Amino acid sequence: MVNLTVDNKQVTVPKDATIYDAAKSAGIKIPILCHDKKLHPFGGCRMCLVEVEQMKGRLIPACTTPVTEGMIVRTSNDEIIKARKLVLELLLLKHPIDCPVCDAAGDCDLQNLTYEYKVNCNQFVDEKFNHEIDYVNPIIERDMNRCILCGKCARICDEIVSYGAYSVINRGLEAKIGTEFDGPLNCEFCGSCVSVCPVGALISRPFKFQARWWALSKVKTVCSYCGTGCQLTLGCKDNKVLTTVYDEDQGFHNGQLCHRGRFAYQFVNSDKRLTTPLIRKNGKLVESSWDEALALVTERLAAAKAAPASLAALSTAHLTNEELFLFEKLFRGTLGSDNIDHSAGFAHAALTEGLKASFGTVASPSEILDVQKTNLLLVIKTDAYETHPVIGFEINLGVKRKGVDLRIVSDKRGKLGKLPGAQTTVHTPGSEILLLNALAKVIVDAGLADAAAPGLAELKAALAEVSVEKAAAATGVSADEITKLAKDYAAAEKALILLPIGLGYPGHNAALAQACANLAILTGKYGKEGSGLLVMGEKNNSQGAADLGIHPKGSGLNGSAIIDACVSGQVKTLFVAGENPVVSYPNRAKVEKALDAVEFLVVADLFLTETAQLADVVLPAVSFAEKSGTFTSVGRKVQQVKQAVKPVGLAKSDFDILNTLNASLGGQTYANQNELFAEIAASVPAYAGLSQTALGDEGKLLPVAPSAKLVPVAAPASAPVAGKLALVTGSALYHSGTMSRFGEGPMLVCPNAYAELSAADAKVLKIEDGDAITVKSETGSVSVTAKVGYRMPQGVVFAPYHFGEGSINAVTDGKPVTWVTVGK
Amino acid sequence: MIMPLLKGLQITFSHMFKKPVTLQYPTERPAIKPNFRGLHVLNVSHDRAKCVACYLCPTVCPAKCITVEAGEDAKHDKFAAKYEIDMLRCIFCGYCVEACPVDAIRMSETFELANYTRGDFTFTKERLLEKK
Repeated sequence: MVNLTVDNKQVTVPKDATIYDAAKSAGIKIPILCHDKKLHPFGGCRMCLVEVEQMKGRLIPACTTPVTEGMIVRTSNDEIIKARKLVLELLLLKHPIDCPVCDAAGDCDLQNLTYEYKVNCNQFVDEKFNHEIDYVNPIIERDMNRCILCGKCARICDEIVSYGAYSVINRGLEAKIGTEFDGPLNCEFCGSCVSVCPVGALISRPFKFQARWWALSKVKTVCSYCGTGCQLTLGCKDNKVLTTVYDEDQGFHNGQLCHRGRFAYQFVNSDKRLTTPLIRKNGKLVESSWDEALALVTERLAAAKAAPASLAALSTAHLTNEELFLFEKLFRGTLGSDNIDHSAGFAHAALTEGLKASFGTVASPSEILDVQKTNLLLVIKTDAYETHPVIGFEINLGVKRKGVDLRIVSDKRGKLGKLPGAQTTVHTPGSEILLLNALAKVIVDAGLADAAAPGLAELKAALAEVSVEKAAAATGVSADEITKLAKDYAAAEKALILLPIGLGYPGHNAALAQACANLAILTGKYGKEGSGLLVMGEKNNSQGAADLGIHPKGSGLNGSAIIDACVSGQVKTLFVAGENPVVSYPNRAKVEKALDAVEFLVVADLFLTETAQLADVVLPAVSFAEKSGTFTSVGRKVQQVKQAVKPVGLAKSDFDILNTLNASLGGQTYANQNELFAEIAASVPAYAGLSQTALGDEGKLLPVAPSAKLVPVAAPASAPVAGKLALVTGSALYHSGTMSRFGEGPMLVCPNAYAELSAADAKVLKIEDGDAITVKSETGSVSVTAKVGYRMPQGVVFAPYHFGEGSINAVTDGKPVTWVTVGK
Repeated sequence: MIMPLLKGLQITFSHMFKKPVTLQYPTERPAIKPNFRGLHVLNVSHDRAKCVACYLCPTVCPAKCITVEAGEDAKHDKFAAKYEIDMLRCIFCGYCVEACPVDAIRMSETFELANYTRGDFTFTKERLLEKK
């Protein structure tokens, strides 16, 4: 620690702190334009000039100067103010004073400082810039005339997002922030640059001219897309969510968001939202009252109570913990049916079955912060970036700032593999478990295994059949590479495995999670900081759904089995809360047949989805912005969701719907959702002692006590089919589940279903980028747009699953790999 | 006793020879002072309203009677797609004129604002635009 004096205040700060940090810790504000706490110090704007007693004669930039013992700093005197005023005058010389039409006004650092330092005249005269404004892309408008060249956009894009869309081009007065060949911007559109821009040079087009910054009410809540659990500030006006507001002090991610978090909020106030309950009469869905709709649902559920096996319920993991808990109480408790599930049954099995067997808990033994604390990061599938982009930013930071050794085991290449030093092991599709078993085999054979690991003997026996050479042949990875990866993993002091799971990844099941867990347990790399396994649930509350047991516990049917049972006629009444199986569950034709066959189908959702269109009763539910509750993130963090706007039309929260149904069917009534959280805290061990108010803004980390056990896993056989391509499904970077289709941003950037294939395959099949192609399998066929790229290995096709039209589940059937033919 | 009465009558008589105070409105029109604050007018320049929809007038308005909605025109510029004043709420304080950074709004000499229905008191952009 270093002691210094800032404005006559004694301050003690760590030795790597700067004068700016020291002043901040003492509550003294030094003005900045180019500095951001997430980025490396830059020292470009010269607004933070201060006087240091020991360095008199010139002014020192506070943001780049490290503190030294006994330093005496003055942050404000006449000379400093004069220097800062000069900086502002020089900036305002070129900056257009178009504050009335600039969206940044009110939240503009330059405007605030100009006001604070009373810069009302300028001693210099010059012409303004006349750069062309970039209106080409639909997300980010770039007006370089307003730019003050702080470079924050270029630095955040490089340091955190690792995309590198911007750079300073030209010199002197000509200097400006440019893109590749000074063309239009074409990037990931995460909007990080927009969030850090101190002026209005970069603005969000979906929010352009919608409202002034000061008119927005800002509500802190949690994003409702993926499981990362990013904290979010919604900017609302007139009962509408108009934008997301950047707050650099929010969450582990310091306000960083991905494309869908920042630009896909519009689904809340979409015109397509359901506003009244609908009942099917004479084959058509017609508007009705809540009383009529709920009376009908109650009557049918009451009738089903007599034969609970004929009743099933599917939920989405988008619901709050309180709603999921009530969902379970209604169907398992009041109605006595064990046929409840979510995410098709396979997309949570890694947690509920895999980790349950390996670690004795349904939660990952690691948290998100471990990503930057580890030495070696083993990512299963490069898709971890696409499914959880903000965890992807953590990986970027870990690799670039903390020197994390990044290893990727994947069936395709991706952005993560481009990070410095990252090594991608590309294996044949569907051979993940075999490869992980081979890694375990190498560790055991090399004597690197922890002799005290429980279940070692059984695992050794099971691994006796595994041969690294055979695995090398089957996975397409050389034996040397397997051996090196295994030895590096075992040799690392701390190692963390990341495994994304989700509806698009049927292969990421219990067995794969156990195979990953085996590696961690075998080498003792779990239960300590920076080591372990992080199974990343797809939805915002996938972890909560696993914790609260929203899956069959006894002889009940899981998600996929429920669909089969609907076809066979065993399930006659089906309640679907927010799930869209028609698009997201495997085998669309079968799901549609099942939903047609089921006698009574109730769907509670925000939109008239493909599933809701088949329902007998549709109940309008509300989004995360219209209700309060809690979500549990991938890293076991329980965070509060706060209501920002009133429900649209007559829509009611799932809590209200389930509460009314539960009460009228003879269950308990709850006055509000807080009561349910109290009950969760009393009955679910991991949540013991928590209360909603105690969660605060930061949330609370759930405790986890893993009791590890090695579970031998048999690798499924995956033989290539001659003349066919291997189709693997997954998540697109801009989308999450099927809800992001109702957000503006994702649909502007990635509106259509596509299939990505290698340049080599495309050449053979005479397909060009953008062609309409047909993908055909034994299950069915679908037409999508072709995307030709260099990241796919030959013989592998990738397709995201989010889209209703051209939905890839028309050709898949729940297997990790689908063998398909592709043609025009 | 009689003196105050006579004093009063003296004042009354003196007024018979002075110019009358009463204005015979509406046959006679009042002379309006230059800083009078009457009905708002949206200034026009180059055949379009000068207003750029900066939202400063609805922000400063103490009666909350101004509704502005910004729009983006073909040249990606900002303009007021909607500009409405609820004259029943307006207190004619003139803060909107003071706040305007682009001299887009002024207050005219029009003071005859009586009307028959409440709806008639909502002045849309078309009604507020300067007539030439």
